[in-house]
Amino acid sequence: MTEPLAPDALTPWPDTVQWRPVSPKLITVELIARAIWVVVLLTGLGVGWFFAPHWTWGAGMAAVVGYAIWRSIVTVRAVRAWGYAERDQDLLVRHGLLIRRLSIVPYARMQFVDVTAGPLERAFGLATVQLHTASAASDAKVPGLPPAEASRLRDRLTALGEDRAEGL
Amino acid sequence: MTTTPQEPVTAEAEPRRRLHPLSPILHGAKSIAVVVAALSWQTLSQVGLERFAIVVLVLALGVVIFSLVGWLTTGYHVVGRELRISDGLIWRRNRAIPLERLQAVELRRPLLAQLTGLAELRLEVVGGGKTEAPLAYLTVRDAAALRERLLALAGRTQAGEAQAGAGAQAAATGAPTLEHPLLRVENRDLVISQLLTPQAIFLPLGIAFVVMQFVLEAQWTFIGIASTVTAMAGVLLQPVRRVLQDWDFRLARDPGGRLVVRYGLLETRSQVVPLNRVQSIGATWPLLWRGHKWLHLRLDIAGYAGEPGGDNKRSDRLLPVGDFATARALVWDVLPGVDLATLATSPPPARARWLHPFALRYLGAGLTPEVFVSRWGLLTRELSLVPYARLQSVRVVQGPLQRRLGLATVYADTAGGRAGQARDRDLAEAWALAEQLAVRARLARA
Repeated sequence: MTEPLAPDALTPWPDTVQWRPVSPKLITVELIARAIWVVVLLTGLGVGWFFAPHWTWGAGMAAVVGYAIWRSIVTVRAVRAWGYAERDQDLLVRHGLLIRRLSIVPYARMQFVDVTAGPLERAFGLATVQLHTASAASDAKVPGLPPAEASRLRDRLTALGEDRAEGL
Repeated sequence: MTTTPQEPVTAEAEPRRRLHPLSPILHGAKSIAVVVAALSWQTLSQVGLERFAIVVLVLALGVVIFSLVGWLTTGYHVVGRELRISDGLIWRRNRAIPLERLQAVELRRPLLAQLTGLAELRLEVVGGGKTEAPLAYLTVRDAAALRERLLALAGRTQAGEAQAGAGAQAAATGAPTLEHPLLRVENRDLVISQLLTPQAIFLPLGIAFVVMQFVLEAQWTFIGIASTVTAMAGVLLQPVRRVLQDWDFRLARDPGGRLVVRYGLLETRSQVVPLNRVQSIGATWPLLWRGHKWLHLRLDIAGYAGEPGGDNKRSDRLLPVGDFATARALVWDVLPGVDLATLATSPPPARARWLHPFALRYLGAGLTPEVFVSRWGLLTRELSLVPYARLQSVRVVQGPLQRRLGLATVYADTAGGRAGQARDRDLAEAWALAEQLAVRARLARA
């Protein structure tokens, strides 16, 4: 393989980059969103159990609760695993626990930036920033940012994008 | 640099132009075939030939009138550095296509258009889910002139100023463009190559199986036969379509240095691709072609990425079939400095065999001065070349099994939709690779 440019490049260099975490409030948002689904599912199963009594309904409910608890534990760790870093030329985003992903998106490749906030996110004062390139495969999405940070990131990205904009 | 002398320099004054008057009839003819198919034989037997003819005629008339209205309301003109297209009667739509975003221009001539001397002009721009501006139909001369003009306008800001200038001059003088032919694929090779596909190879077996079944079980039901025939036709459709599409494949360089690809039998296509719009090149060595040492080259352009319909509808051929020497020369032409014969790739570490028990030998990735090379595939070997300047983003992905083994996969995303991928590299190497890709992409852009 080729020689790395920086001497520390062979150490897992993303650890040498300064990562910024996403807001821990994202955990709450995700948990509430999941809780809503669980309640909907449990109500559905409960109604089914009421009209057609059979033990499988109960087993289903137990499975839903079990799955939700497992996912919730994972969520806590997954949110802590989200991170992003702004370097001079590119944005780094890492996420995922089971499947770990790291995206390196150069600012010059940015086509547009999305800032979105769902009702739950808004209630907790969070927003999601997503950077789009011409490639559909690029995924540079940073959820759980405080609005000030989200707009700062957006402005910075668009400013850098304009500086270095070019065709394909 | 000025626009073509025939056109006034004050581009705003350019009148809106219409498509060719025969277009509604051609559009109508296309729909009539659909209508007849929808009415089917059953209707014919129920209502009788006379009434059937009347129904078809009325529907056809309706379609033609509908198309006529569409034709009347559709117009296009070049304003400054934009192509503006307006259409629609009730929902008016004005579309401005910035020409610096133009990726490729294609001239398609379906059978009916060939008979009437017309052509459809398709512009590819990034971000469109489908072809943004199919101008159907223009006369061939108009379409070719418009294409030359659009490409000249599009080429102005690009890095290859000299090349674009040459192209624009050629367009400006209106001289017949002298192309420098690069290659021509023998139709015999094309047919043989498509006979060497699994579909064609297994067809005799399939026929034998069906015949045996009928002979043994003596079940000659109409449904059975019809469905078998349909299934066979479906299986055979792809190779046959490939032959029809890639018939008489020719490749040339135009004076502007752009690539001109022409092919097709029933529907001829001629596609002009500026070389700096090539996002990546893919080479495929199918198993059954190995006896001939043949390969297939694919050209990825950004505009086609979103187009559905698999590989049949897309215009992404660089070489439908050819030997290694041809492919090598061609790749050198399209990506100067890249020699297909000397692309060094290194395999992933030996512990990756837990994930790839057989194909490990054929996995590889490497960085050359110009492109990111990656190869994979046991039976159908594939190679992908991504120029650093066309990289959109880099991703490092590590699945659970890979984490156990300390491996990771590096993806080099392009706007063409297909990513270069270094599968199952050692983690430290993957980080280094990603860093290198990011750095090299930045240097290549600068």
